[in-house]
Amino acid sequence: MKLLKYTIYRLLQAIPVLIGISVITFLLANLGPGDPVSLMLQGQEHTEAQVRAIEQRYGLDKPLHERYVTYMAGLLQGDFGRSIHYRRPVADLMLERIGPTLLLVLSAYAFALVTAIPLGIIAANKRNEPTDHVSRIVALFGVSTPSFWIGIVLILIFAVKLGWFPSSGLVYPWRSPDSVRGISSYPELYYETLRHLLLPMIALGTLQMATIMRVERTQMIESLQGEYVKLARAYGVPERTILRKHAFNVAQLPIITIVGLNLSTAIGGAVLVETVFNINGMGRLFVDAIAQNDYQLVMGITMMLGFLFVMGVIITDISYAYVDPRVTYGESD
Amino acid sequence: MAVGESQIESGSESVAEDDDVEARVGWRYTVAQVKRDTTARWGLYIVSFVLFVAVYALIDSNLSRLTFGHVSNYRFAQLLPIFDHPTHIPPPGEGRAHVPPYFPLAEQSWNPLPAGGTLEHPLGTDRAGRDYFTRIVYGTQVSVFVGLISAFIGLLGGTLIGATAGYYGGRIDDVLMRAVETVYSIPPLILIIVFTVFVGGANIWYAVLGVGITFVPVFARIIRSRVLSIREMDYIEAARAAGVRDRNIILRHVIPNSFAPVLVYATLQIGVTILIVAGLSFLGYGAQPPTPDWGAMLRTAHGYMHSNVWLSIWPGIAIMITIMGFNLFGDGLQDALDPRIND
Amino acid sequence: MSSEPLLRVENLKTQFFTEAGTVRAVDGISFEVREGEIVGLVGESGAGKSVASMSLLRLVEDPGEIVAGEITYKGETIFGLEEGPNGELRERDDVLSNEEIRTRIRGNEIAVIFQDPMESLNPVFTVGGQLREFIELNRGLGEDEAKAEAIDMLREVGIPDPEQRYEEYPHQFSGGMRQRVLIAMALACEPSLIIADEPTTALDVTVEGQILDLVDELQAKYGTSFIWVTHDLGVVAEICDRVNVMYLGEIVEQAAVDDLFYDTKHPYTDALLDSMPRPDRTVDDLEPIEGVMPEAIDPPSGCRFHPRCPHAREVCKRVHPEPKIVAGDGEPHRAACVKHDAFDVGYDESPPLEDRGPTPSGEDSADTDSESGLAPNPTADDGGERRE
Repeated sequence: MKLLKYTIYRLLQAIPVLIGISVITFLLANLGPGDPVSLMLQGQEHTEAQVRAIEQRYGLDKPLHERYVTYMAGLLQGDFGRSIHYRRPVADLMLERIGPTLLLVLSAYAFALVTAIPLGIIAANKRNEPTDHVSRIVALFGVSTPSFWIGIVLILIFAVKLGWFPSSGLVYPWRSPDSVRGISSYPELYYETLRHLLLPMIALGTLQMATIMRVERTQMIESLQGEYVKLARAYGVPERTILRKHAFNVAQLPIITIVGLNLSTAIGGAVLVETVFNINGMGRLFVDAIAQNDYQLVMGITMMLGFLFVMGVIITDISYAYVDPRVTYGESD
Repeated sequence: MAVGESQIESGSESVAEDDDVEARVGWRYTVAQVKRDTTARWGLYIVSFVLFVAVYALIDSNLSRLTFGHVSNYRFAQLLPIFDHPTHIPPPGEGRAHVPPYFPLAEQSWNPLPAGGTLEHPLGTDRAGRDYFTRIVYGTQVSVFVGLISAFIGLLGGTLIGATAGYYGGRIDDVLMRAVETVYSIPPLILIIVFTVFVGGANIWYAVLGVGITFVPVFARIIRSRVLSIREMDYIEAARAAGVRDRNIILRHVIPNSFAPVLVYATLQIGVTILIVAGLSFLGYGAQPPTPDWGAMLRTAHGYMHSNVWLSIWPGIAIMITIMGFNLFGDGLQDALDPRIND
Repeated sequence: MSSEPLLRVENLKTQFFTEAGTVRAVDGISFEVREGEIVGLVGESGAGKSVASMSLLRLVEDPGEIVAGEITYKGETIFGLEEGPNGELRERDDVLSNEEIRTRIRGNEIAVIFQDPMESLNPVFTVGGQLREFIELNRGLGEDEAKAEAIDMLREVGIPDPEQRYEEYPHQFSGGMRQRVLIAMALACEPSLIIADEPTTALDVTVEGQILDLVDELQAKYGTSFIWVTHDLGVVAEICDRVNVMYLGEIVEQAAVDDLFYDTKHPYTDALLDSMPRPDRTVDDLEPIEGVMPEAIDPPSGCRFHPRCPHAREVCKRVHPEPKIVAGDGEPHRAACVKHDAFDVGYDESPPLEDRGPTPSGEDSADTDSESGLAPNPTADDGGERRE
């Protein structure tokens, strides 16, 4: 019950932030020097009347605040407007492209968590020993290397040089096998998905892995020094159990927060990694929309990504509250 | 004994200016810790090296065998002494080109010299025949200045907003912090691209400003919480009781006292800045060719990554080393200020 | 004295090997604990009490190590060294292995109660879950039995609604209640000995009183022996049967509780007693101990207390006294102070250390004393010789 109340409270709290995102996005897209009308005409010969017509059709003749209200009214009904370039509803375009991006980001997180947590624990447990130094160096490389460059290097080594993995594209596991060339069964489809996903996943996940590993190590060191660990030792609890249970559980709590907050870097990284690997996700859609000055589409994507991030943070906050018994579901901060 | 000495030293300083004693002792302690801490020391070495290269490239315009030919597109270069060095461009397929690092050539069909090919071009040349090593060296300038400036913008904006929010409290605090939270909620790369393209057009200065803006929220939060906690401290209470105005308290006590942790954070942010700007340039929204920016170089090289592998490697290594330096240094500073974890 | 004690510690030395040098945290202490008694281990913070008590479980944290001595518990050897064929020291064969210590001694034979009840319980597990885990582990009970036992124990230590509280988390308990939980935890494992490491220091005085009463009552009921580590002689008077007073890693006085209070034999114990507030004295009568305790990394020569001792004489700087029996009919009363006849090293003839007198300003004396603690004060030498 308490948790439900907290969830509702957090969702309500997000409303002003989401409105704020829409205002910022709307202002940036509409105050800019780029003129959507001339864009739509694409340098063709045009008359004053044509311009008027287009302005009227897209509501560009109305004052800014009115346009904002109209836009928001549409948003509430799930109408993100029409893309100028693609001449299709923005919502449809995003719906098509969000799948690959989610697949990429989630698998990158899975990769990061699966590698970072054990490495962080080992580093903390063998503090200042070779294993610790190695994992700290790996983490340092991870936070210092651009994801898109990791992608390039991975392509050069594993796709170009060794030819083990494809260098671009993605096979969507939710499609039917017949839609992909050279594939006839589901196992094959999933296998191909994995093969395509592996390199971009590592490229995007490395930064997350490094960040999570650093936090994990610090938290485990702190947790292992806790009085409750001393107590468990004094009561004869085996070292393995202490590491896996007593020290571990306390140390994981901050990881939840980090995962949520890092989502914004992961989304930014997805834009770059999708570009490097030619994956048709939201990131590519965004880059193309920017290149084509498709301001309706840019607004839609920006709002959607902001929304995803805010929701991600809320979900992690709620999981934190669910996992940590100490959290008081207070009405104030 | 050592304790006694440092007490005497700080005592003699405190005669000069009473207010800053706390801050200065903190600095002294920090410097001593940095000297001891291996991580911080290595970070300092790398950062110093990178800064040295950046400044060196600024001063020594005759850096490589190559000098400036056409620099009008590149603003930094306008500050520099210009040597008129003839550019030698042989017909395609015949001989090597000698082209300055800024030479705004379209990518040509020259076969770039492979890495380590000659003493003259240790990293070879790019497809336009420009010496790659020189371009990498000049890239240091761009990255370092871009990193420093945008971290500074974030720091400045964050300090202003955070201090104002913490100082006035109430509704102003609410509004400012909500605004800050909103900016924080849009993934930085997305926000910066939208800002750069729609407000300024693809241009490195707007990119720098954009990156700076996305850092305002974190700094604002740190400063605000410091202001709130320091406000409650005894000596601030005493100053307030003595009739010192809040504004002066904030400027003379609170901000100087929050500076060390914020600076540590700023150091770590420089690395992130360089990372983001590299990404921006890679997408084509940061530094524009022919600027020798690492991200932009990777963008160009990406087109030839199968045939000219090394062109895609060197700039990445440069980015990695630079960011690593700032990260190591920042980590070391952090440990120095909070020695709890890495004792 | 006739039967073998429950625990015997002989000449235990535990040292920490740090960059700054070797810290002799525990430097050759001997004491014993008999069945059913509460033995106090008293001293200022830094005296080595906690390290000594953790050494009994072989739970000294890095970079610490037990380097000498013998610890015998119920006839089994927890720690012991012997000389190898080449003259090097090595662990004796009968010393319990790490695994044996963990499974047979920790928890089920010797349990502990730590100082800070706020930090000692794991914040993310329920109180009952933690209790049950330790009971299962140390008594080999199944889940349900252990749970029943845990709830019984919670009731036993005076926690209301134990069934409901069993499901709650530590942050929902007050400090005193958490300390009761820790006591329940110790008792539930049915050990023969409980090490209580300053268990009431972090609590309010009223709660402290309740806890002491509870321990007294439960100790009588279960007959468990206790080692009670504290810096508070008031608590010692209330609860202990025998007392060991520690100073800088050594035991300086060892006696039955009444003998210690009414027939104090060591100047340090005297000083501790004088610094303790009592209802029959005003604040003016309180005499704080001069100076601060020196570091165990470089202890003073001779008697370690001599830089702060009001009775210190020339001989105290040279002679390092081991505790000797100085009084006591049935229960031996040991003290490590050369002013007693048992030592016979010429204390009476030795000139007093002149400038040891009380200094007016507390802070000043702290500085000079801690310095002279690290290196004997040369002016003290001069003064001493000029006098006679």
